[in-house]
Order: sequence, then structure tokens, then C-alpha cells
Amino acid sequence: MKEITNKIQAIAARLFDEGKIDVFLAWEKGELDFQTKAYAAWNKDDVQNIIFNEYTIYNTANTLLKFRDTHERIGIAVKGCDSRGVVRLLEDLQIKRDRLYIVGIPCPGLKDPLAAARNYGGFNQVKEEEGLAKKCLECIQPNPVIYDELVGPEQVPRQPLGERFAKVKELEQMSADERYDFWEKTLSTCIRCYACRQVCVACDCRTCIFDEMKPQWVGREISTTDNMMYHLVKHAHMAGRCIECGECERVCPVNIPLMLLNQKLIKDVGKLYDGPEAGMQYVEGNKPPLSVYRADDPDSFL
Amino acid sequence: MKVLSKSKLSAALDNLSQQNEVFVPMQKGTQSGYFTWKSFAEGQDELRLEALNVYQSPKGVVLPQTEKMYGIQSQGVEINIDKTYEDDHPTIIFGARACDVKGILAMDEVFLTRGYEDSFYKARRSANTIIANACYAPGPNCFCNAMDVNSVDPAGADVILRDIGDSFIWEVKTPKGDAATALISGLLEEKDAKAPTPQPFQRQVEYEGVAEKLKGMFEHPIWDKLSQPCINCGMCTYVCPSCYCFDIQVKMWGDHGYRFRTWDSCMFEEYTREAGGGNPRGASKERFRQRFLHKLEFFTERYGTPLCTGCGRCMIVCPTDVNIVRIIDAVKEAD
Repeated sequence: MKEITNKIQAIAARLFDEGKIDVFLAWEKGELDFQTKAYAAWNKDDVQNIIFNEYTIYNTANTLLKFRDTHERIGIAVKGCDSRGVVRLLEDLQIKRDRLYIVGIPCPGLKDPLAAARNYGGFNQVKEEEGLAKKCLECIQPNPVIYDELVGPEQVPRQPLGERFAKVKELEQMSADERYDFWEKTLSTCIRCYACRQVCVACDCRTCIFDEMKPQWVGREISTTDNMMYHLVKHAHMAGRCIECGECERVCPVNIPLMLLNQKLIKDVGKLYDGPEAGMQYVEGNKPPLSVYRADDPDSFL
Repeated sequence: MKVLSKSKLSAALDNLSQQNEVFVPMQKGTQSGYFTWKSFAEGQDELRLEALNVYQSPKGVVLPQTEKMYGIQSQGVEINIDKTYEDDHPTIIFGARACDVKGILAMDEVFLTRGYEDSFYKARRSANTIIANACYAPGPNCFCNAMDVNSVDPAGADVILRDIGDSFIWEVKTPKGDAATALISGLLEEKDAKAPTPQPFQRQVEYEGVAEKLKGMFEHPIWDKLSQPCINCGMCTYVCPSCYCFDIQVKMWGDHGYRFRTWDSCMFEEYTREAGGGNPRGASKERFRQRFLHKLEFFTERYGTPLCTGCGRCMIVCPTDVNIVRIIDAVKEAD
């Protein structure tokens, strides 16, 4: 990891020297070993603060969204999942490819700094597992799918074959009523902090439907109805767009298994459209299945 | 002194629950917060009175995340308020830590002083008793001592519990505390007991002078750097024991409906969006700055005590490692 950090720092320094970038997006260390945060290096002096370690799990593509209305030329370090996020932003025309210099990091799988923070914080009576993060254990794409330069050896996917949709299949076996009960119970605990939306790189709408007041599409009460509306609408918007980075579920303060909804949609969209998964490759002009309008669409209501 | 044996804790909570809704720190499935004792499922849920704290604070007992205010019936152009929902059923918060009690005291200032009483808050709060749990072993993120909080003698508590291993010392502080004590008098024993020795705080935070210094730092470049990682979710504000901001909205079905209030967050873009579309805090940095100025400067100016209670929750849950202690340090170090 130290070696990768050195390489990223060297590349960032070189890019600043060559005048190719105005800012480099990566991670920096927090106060304690497990604490990391998104970092923007603005000059060569800042570069020494950049790190890549076992806790740099945050999706840098989300940091990129903060730059969609500016003009800087951006260097960005991406893991496999982050790179799929970058592809999504390119597809959605949120950022131009020629503004980016992408440094790809084949990712060995990382730990969840939030789990470490909870264990450290002293509220937990039972310590949480501190091995690889759940999202990393389920990773299907550790290697960056788009990059200008690659750092480190290629990694193999960690998702055990055949187990990817195991939980989704379990839910599909339930009766409609059982499933409704399951989601009603699960989503009733939501506190509507919108962290799952804010941390989501596929949530790149300028004005989110949940922030619109005229009309207000979804109520703001903490009730089963409003909570379910929030999650079902949010996740329906993710169909064909979720890059499976797992950040929503990782950051949820009330432990809602949000990736179950996303994985169900990934499974269904894969079956219905028989297409590649969200953000797996960047082809200029390509759109995810549900972002395309065609006059000859087979569905009459369109 | 009065002592409650832990073997009689369930019985005590049963007794208290006969006339009150009693909220207790609990691990309930994947949820960690204050839940009613009546909802406690033996063998599934776990009491967390011995834990440092739980992730959801007890503020919802006096300021529920969503509460109905009044019902509306419209007839032509006339609008009638047909029902108000002021809720004064008796509640007890059992086992709150000093930081969380301070959060409620801060809300008391906001909702009950300076010439305006919020009747909905007043109804709940008047019927609410706080049985605090003195804190003798601060955790690695605790800094309540720097924020006007006495962790072993929490101001605002009606009863203070002191954990002495197999039992709690039961120290009554107010008439409300007497009333709660009367409900379990048969379960309390008189005996000599020595309160534990408080352990030192692991984290040293110096708040002195921060509010004054912040007065001149509204335009300081520090906010650009500190706010950079923040994604403006509302997690810190919702786990915070003292964040009290709310919005009032309405739900209508045809000619009838109700008004309700619901927690809101200064982190959200539409929180300060004006009717004409303008927004004084349109950018992420401005919302971030507001939160910390409110916690560390504005509230202190108005009420003489900070709005941060040093519980450390936001530092644990923040997905981008925003750390209020580091912000206090950064303010002190700033030119």
C-alpha cells in the first residue's frame, strides 16, 4: 500500500510539474490510522498528503461531482468501483473526459473505516468484524475500467461465483405479503438523513426529486409510507445506473441493507436488457438502458 | 442512601411503565437507540445501560422526528383547525448520559425561554422525567467536560443513577424524581454505597475563547478546506443530541389533512431555499459553516453555553471523517 501511495504521489507531482492538472483528487489520512477522507491536492506541496491505504474506501468519483460546474483539469485516483463511478459521470455528461487524468489502482479490497470508528468509539458492546468491508467481499470489479495510467498489479474479483444474487433470490422466494412486511419493517428505521443519496455517485441529478417543494413529490414524515416512497423512488432511479460500489449501505447510520434493493435492480435490468452492467466500460455516446429514448420503443406508453 | 439492585431493574422498569412511557437505551436488532421498555423483547433486544452510549440520542422523546401539530378541515374558502395534537402523556428517559441530558437542556432554552413557549414541546417536556446515568469512564471520543457538561453530576436530571456494579445508587434530585421514586419505592434498598471514581477524559479539548474568536471568522478561508470532504448529508444533525431544527409541512387529502413538524437539517439545500428560489446557503461550504458556527458560536452568544455537548457521535458516524474536535483545534490555530 505504501508503494502505491508513493506511486500516486509521484504521478500527481509529475502532473503538477508538467502543468497538466490544476487539482488532484484522492484521499488523505485523518487523525487516527483508520480515519481517511476525500482530499483535493491543489499544488505540488499538497501531494505529500495523498495516501492510499487499507481504509481509503471512499468513492473518489463522488468527489469529482463537486467539480462538475468548474473548469479545472483534474487528476483523480480511482479504485475499480470508483472508476465505474467516473464512467457513469462521463455517460451522464457531468464531466468531460478531456478534463480528467485518471490514475487507476487495482484494488486489493479494503476495510470499512466506519466499522473501525464504531469499534473505537466505545458505544459497541460487541466488536464488529474488522476484516474486508462487505462491499469489498462482494466486489466484482476490483480493477479500474478506465484509466490513463495504472498503479500496481491486477487483482481478481472477490465475489464468490454464483453467490452474487443469493440474498436477492431468497427475497424473491417470499410471497408478496412477506416481502412487503420485510421491507416495511426494514425501511421503517430510516431517519431520512439522505446519506445514501449524498454518497451515491449515480445520484447526480442537479435538483433531486426529494428536494423539490413545488410540487413536493415525496412527504418528509418519518412514516412507513414516506420512508418507502423515498427508498423505492430513489432505488428505481438507480436501475441500470448503480455501479455497486456499496457506499450507500456502508454509510447508513441505521444499518439498512440498501444493496439488496440495488442488487435486485441490477439482476432485473441485466435480464431485461441483456446489456453490460452500469459503468463497466466507457464508450463515448453510450447510455445505460433506462437513459435512452427511442421513438420506436416497444412499450406503447412511451 | 437509596440503591436499586440490578436484579430488580426489570421490575423497576415494569413499575415505572405502568404510568409512564419509559424509554431505555437498547440494541434492538440492528438499531441502537432509546426504545420503550414495553417494546423490549426478552432474548432478542439488549439493554445498553452499561454501554458508553447508544447511537440514536433520546432527543426524540421530547422532540419527535415527526409530530402532528393540528388537523385541518377546509370548507369552501374557510379553513378550520379541527384538532390539536399537543401530547402531554407522561414519559421517562431512563439511563441518559450527561451529554444527552445537556442536549435536552439546550432544547429547553430554545423552546421555552426568551419570550416564546412552544406549546407542543412544552406539553411533552413538562410530562417528561429524566433519570440520568452518571458517566465514570469517558470514551475515546468524549469531550463533554469541555462543553459545560458535568458527566457525573448532570444538570437537569431528576434522578441520577450511579453504577456500582451489581446495583445503581438512586439519587433523587427534583420533585419529578420523587414522583418516579414513589413508583418503585418497594424495590429500593437503603444501604451505604460508594460512588465509583471518575476516570480521566482521554481527549483534551479546549473550547475557551472559541466562540469569541469565531465572531471574526465568518469569511475565513479555513471553511473552504474544512468543508471540502463534507457531502452535506444530515447524519451528524440527526444523531446529534442537541440539533433541534425542524420544518413545518402539511399533508392534505382533498379538503382535510394535518400540519406536522419534522426534523430538518442545515445540511440540506432546501433548508434555506426561499420562496422566490434564492438561497443564502446554496453552496456546501455555507451549510457546513452554519452548522459549526451554530454549535460553537451563535448558541453560546445567545444562551451562554455551546450547542455541542461533546457526546462524540458525529465523529463516529460521519462518512467523510468530519471531526468537530479537529474543527475546534483548527479555529484556535487559525490566524
